[in-house]
Parts: sequence; C-alpha cells; structure tokens
Amino acid sequence: MALLEYALVGGILYGVFFSLVGIGLNLVFGVMRMINLAHGQFIMLGGFGAYLLSSHLGLNPVFGIPLAVAGGIVIGWPLYYAVVPRLQRSNDPEMLSFILFFGIAQVIEAVTLLVFGADQHSLPDSALGSGNIGVLGQDFPDSWWVAVAVSVLCIGGLYLYLSSTRLGFATRAIMADRDEARTTGIDVDRVAAIAFVIGLSLAGIAGVFVPYMVGSVSPSIGGGLTTTSFAIIIIGSLGNPLGTVVGGLVFGIGTMLMQTYYASWSNLVPYALLLVIVLIRPSGLLGKAVRSA
Amino acid sequence: MRKFLKHAWTACAAGAVASGLALSGGAAQAANAPSVLTIGTLYASSGPFAVASKGQFEGLQYWADTVNKDGGTYVKAFKKKIPVKIIAYDDQSSTATATTLYNQLITQDQVNILIADFGSVLTSVGIPLAAEHKMLLIDPTGSGANFFTKKTDYLADVSIPSSTVWPLTLGHFLLGQKIQRIAIIYDSNDFDASQAETLKATLEKGGVKPVYYHGVPTSESNYTVLLHTIAAQNPDAVIEFGYAPNDIAFLRNLSSSGLHFKMTFTIFPGQLLDLMTKNVGAKALAYTYTYPTPPLVQTQKVTYGPNTAAFVEQFKAAKNAEPNFLDVAGYNTGLVVQDMLETAPAFTQLSFHQALMDMSGKTTTLLGDFKINENGAQLGELFSVGQLVPSGNGNKMVVVYPKEKATGTAVYPAPAQ
Repeated sequence: MALLEYALVGGILYGVFFSLVGIGLNLVFGVMRMINLAHGQFIMLGGFGAYLLSSHLGLNPVFGIPLAVAGGIVIGWPLYYAVVPRLQRSNDPEMLSFILFFGIAQVIEAVTLLVFGADQHSLPDSALGSGNIGVLGQDFPDSWWVAVAVSVLCIGGLYLYLSSTRLGFATRAIMADRDEARTTGIDVDRVAAIAFVIGLSLAGIAGVFVPYMVGSVSPSIGGGLTTTSFAIIIIGSLGNPLGTVVGGLVFGIGTMLMQTYYASWSNLVPYALLLVIVLIRPSGLLGKAVRSA
Repeated sequence: MRKFLKHAWTACAAGAVASGLALSGGAAQAANAPSVLTIGTLYASSGPFAVASKGQFEGLQYWADTVNKDGGTYVKAFKKKIPVKIIAYDDQSSTATATTLYNQLITQDQVNILIADFGSVLTSVGIPLAAEHKMLLIDPTGSGANFFTKKTDYLADVSIPSSTVWPLTLGHFLLGQKIQRIAIIYDSNDFDASQAETLKATLEKGGVKPVYYHGVPTSESNYTVLLHTIAAQNPDAVIEFGYAPNDIAFLRNLSSSGLHFKMTFTIFPGQLLDLMTKNVGAKALAYTYTYPTPPLVQTQKVTYGPNTAAFVEQFKAAKNAEPNFLDVAGYNTGLVVQDMLETAPAFTQLSFHQALMDMSGKTTTLLGDFKINENGAQLGELFSVGQLVPSGNGNKMVVVYPKEKATGTAVYPAPAQ
C-alpha cells in the first residue's frame, strides 16, 4: 500500500512537471496548427541555459527561468515571422511545418553538440534544496517540489492569460477558427507570434528543471522529449493547452505505477496510452466530441 | 550530420589484395600489397553512446597515428609495413543508421578490416552483417552475451570481457562479504541484462536469492520511485547495471532521495570517472563500488605494446588530455589488430581470425590478458571490484577484490554521506 501511495504521489508530481514539458507544444499547435518538432530541442536549450548560468556565472539555476523567457522572445519572435506566415500560405502547411521544424531541431542539436560536446551535464542538487519534503508520508526531493511549483505557476499563468486577457481571448478565437478570427479584426499573426513565444518560453522553463527530473541534459535528449510531449498532448487533447495537464497526469501516474509494479515496460506507457486514447477517444480525454451531420 | 573520410582507391586496393593472394612468393606478394590498409569503423557523435563511442574512436585514431608515424604496421602476408587509413562514419547512436553504415563499409568501401562501434547496442547490428559477408568483425567493447553463443570465424571481442564474465568477481565479492539482501536493477539490453543474469546465477549458486531483480528500459532517466520500491525490500546492497546516462540519473536520484544503502554498485564510475564526478558530484560518488578499468588500474607486465603507465604518458603528451577507459579500449583494439597483422600468414579474414586465436592466452596488452574463445568472446582482461573512497576534494579508486589485486579493503557498510 505504501508503494502504491508513493507511486501515486510521485506520478502526480512527475505528471505535473511533464504537463509543463508538453504544454508549449500544445499551445503552438492549437494556435498555428503546426507541430513544432523542435520542441524538445527548445527544452534542451533551456537546460543548457540554466547549466551555463550555474557553472559559469555561479548563479542559481532558477535564474534560467527569465533567461528562458528572454530566449523565447529573441528566438521565437523572428522565427515566427521568418517562417510561419509563409508556411500558412503554402498548400500543405502542416506537412511543410513538419519538415521545417525537423530541420530546425537538427540544427539546434548540431550547434549544441559543437558548443557543449556530447557529454551529459547536470546542475547541483543543492541549488534547489538538498532535503526532502513529505506529503501524505511520502518524501520527495526538494528539486521535484520546486519543479512542480514552477510548473503549476506557469500552467496557472497560461490559464489566466487565455481566460482573462484580451490577447488570451484572441488566442482562443484563433484556436477555434483562424480565418474567422481574422475576419473579426484580430491581428492573427501578432497574436500567434505571441503564442509561439509563450510556447517556446514554457519549453525553455521546463528545460531548466530537466536535469533534476531526468538526471542530466545532453544535446541528444530533445527528440525523446518531443515524442513524449506529443504523446502527452494527444492523450489530453491536441490543440487544447489545458488538456495537456490531464495528459501529463495520466502519463506521470501511469509511468510511476509501471515503474513500481512492472518496471521493464514503463517506457511503453505514453505510447500504449496514446494508442488506447486514439482508438477510444480520438479527440483526447478533454477533446470535444466530433459530430458528423 | 555525417562526417566521413572518403577514399577512391578501395576497389583497386581490394583487387590488388585479391591478386596478391593468388600469387606465391614474397616478392610477388609485396608487389601486390595495397598502398594503404583500410580500417572501417563507426562512431557516434551524438546520442546516448556519444561520449563512450568518441572515446573509443579517439583511442583507435591515436593508435593509427602512432603506427603511421612509424611508417605503418607490419603485415606478414606482404612482408612489409603498410600505412593504415581509418574510414569512419557517424551512426549518431542509431542502430538503424549503423546497419546501413556497416553495410557501406563492407560492400561499398570494401575495407580490409572492420571494427565495430562502442558497446553492445551498436555492435549488435554489425555482427550478422559481417558474418553474412564473411568478414571478421573486430569488436572492441560489444560484450553482450547473446553475441557469443556459437562458434564463429567472424567475430572477436578484443578490448572488453564478455559481459557474462564481468560480474563474476562482483558476485564472489558479495558472497565473500556475506551480504544476503541484494537488489539488482538493470537496463533491458544485452550488455546489462547478461550481467544481471550472470550475477543472479552466481549469487543463487552461493545460496543468495536477490530480493529485487528487475529490468528497466535503457532510456530510463528517473529512478526516484524505483529506488523507493527497491528500498521497500530492505536490501543491503543495490547493484545497478546501466549505461553512463543511467548511472548518472541513478546516483543523482539516490543522492537526492535521502535513501542510503550499505553498498551501491554501478558500472561507469570505473570507466568514465571524470564524467561521473562532474555530473554526480564527488560526495555522492563516495563509497560507490564499480569495476575499475585501465587507466584507473594498471597492467604492468605486457607482452605487446606499451604498458598502461607508458600509454598514459604517451597519450597525455600527444593529446594533452588524460585518457579514459574508452581511449584505452580503442587503442588496445588497434594494438590487437597490429599484432594480428604481424602474425597472420595470409591476407584473408579467416587467416586474421586464426591469428587472433593463436594470440589468445599468449598475449598480454595494457588491458590485461588477451583470451578469446571459439565463439569470439573475450574471457581475459577480467575486471576487479573497486570502491571510490574519499581523498582530498575527490575520490580515489581502491581495488577491494580479488585479494591478489586488492590495494585496500572495502569500506562496508558505507557511511551515509
């Protein structure tokens, strides 16, 4: 029973963090209808940003959070205007975006490899507290709790942005129907560019905590993070950022339960869940049912 | 990103070699000798095996540079020295890419000698291809037990013991210490699973049944919940078999979990100590047990090539960097190839293999005794059990078992850090 409780609490914490890992990808898809295949590489960049701050400037890795936001703006804004409007005008923007973002992912990985080498890089455990905090009698490292607290703040902030601000309303309008939003006078490109920047910033912020949650950061971890994020957002609901939270929780709890009771199959969890969800409820757990007239 | 060294003369060289074999007489052989020996290999510049693979490749390149400075390596079949040229492709740690590239080395580049990439995962796909093309695969560090289950003339594990024999000393150490409650967690791949199986069998033979015995995916990166599950079994010793990224995650999670075991063992602190110290921290690594490998342990008396200490000095002078085990393994692979070429009477794959078999049991290099069986498994170069003991700001390696190699005694139970 204690093992089950530990797996459940651990799964919730892990799942909340992975909600943050996936939520930027879902926001970008929801607004742009494009899969950012470089999502994991942007997470990886966030991890290396925190590593640089910690190892070279002696700063606490949490300063990687504002750096990730700055990086999101510096990279995301020009990148959006350089490629997305052109892609949107093409005959097959979704397929072309696949190819384009795959290329961007390869470039980021190659450049990171040149700069940092192939080694794993970690952040000091003590930077986020070297103790453990217990909930319901289950102790988890301080770094987990900090990662979860930041994840909750980011996800909550995104919720408030989407539900309480004019830009957020416009973002949701674009998510619902891009062309209709344009006809109502919404500056679609500007709003979508902001959403893209937010998406990349959230990815970068998640990256700051990746060395704590997955052991280390290295140039090659991006692909796996993109795949996991993709599975999480499909489980939750593709195009609905807040559905990612449900997807993350299902992923986290499923993974930790499998680690506890059948460890060798634990990496199958996201993909097995993805298959089941796609077969039973193709729109995801929080997706709206599709009705054919 | 694929980096490769292209050569245009391979077909001519292969033709020359084939003609040379058809002729008799030393002069005719020398006349038909290729101008350069081509050695085909793969390395990974990215992905989970990049660090280890690049180390192994660097060691092999260093060997090639060394012999070329001396005019090349002596080839008995042609009775002359011939320079070596390494043709290397980047498989990016992908078995799919490695399959294509091994095929390219064999069929397009028609290399004279084929050397596998680092580790069991990237070697596994080369073994059937080499056998199919009747090409001897020189296997530096692919040690998965499944590779060596039947007699073959086309596989030779040269720089690392078969993983089935790695944990034998560890098993005997655990039994000798009378540790009864042992947890084993391993990655589900040939390299780690075969070690786990051997250790389990060794322990069970000694009357100890592991209290926890589970595999995890090779991609596992978070051990926090797993460690808690293991702790629930109250083990005294926790043995983790994984690759370097797994060991890093495992040891970091253990350090931050607040859990403590009397003994913790992982593989890669003994092979990539600098990398592990950088990521895990000296404090968290303290009292961890591992397989200490050269250059952390030294082979003094050798029958071929420099001993470990001499190699370390030469490597440092040439590369301005401390070698790690993978550098040694790559260099040792070159040395074994060199010895093979010096003794093989004919320039054929079968003759190469026979030369290796003849060297077996009679050769000692900087990695230790070279001893392969008819299945291609390396049974020499056995690992000891070592423990990292705090020393100054870091840790020093102390060999604790077997007795005849021990440089100190085990600190058991390990004090909490």
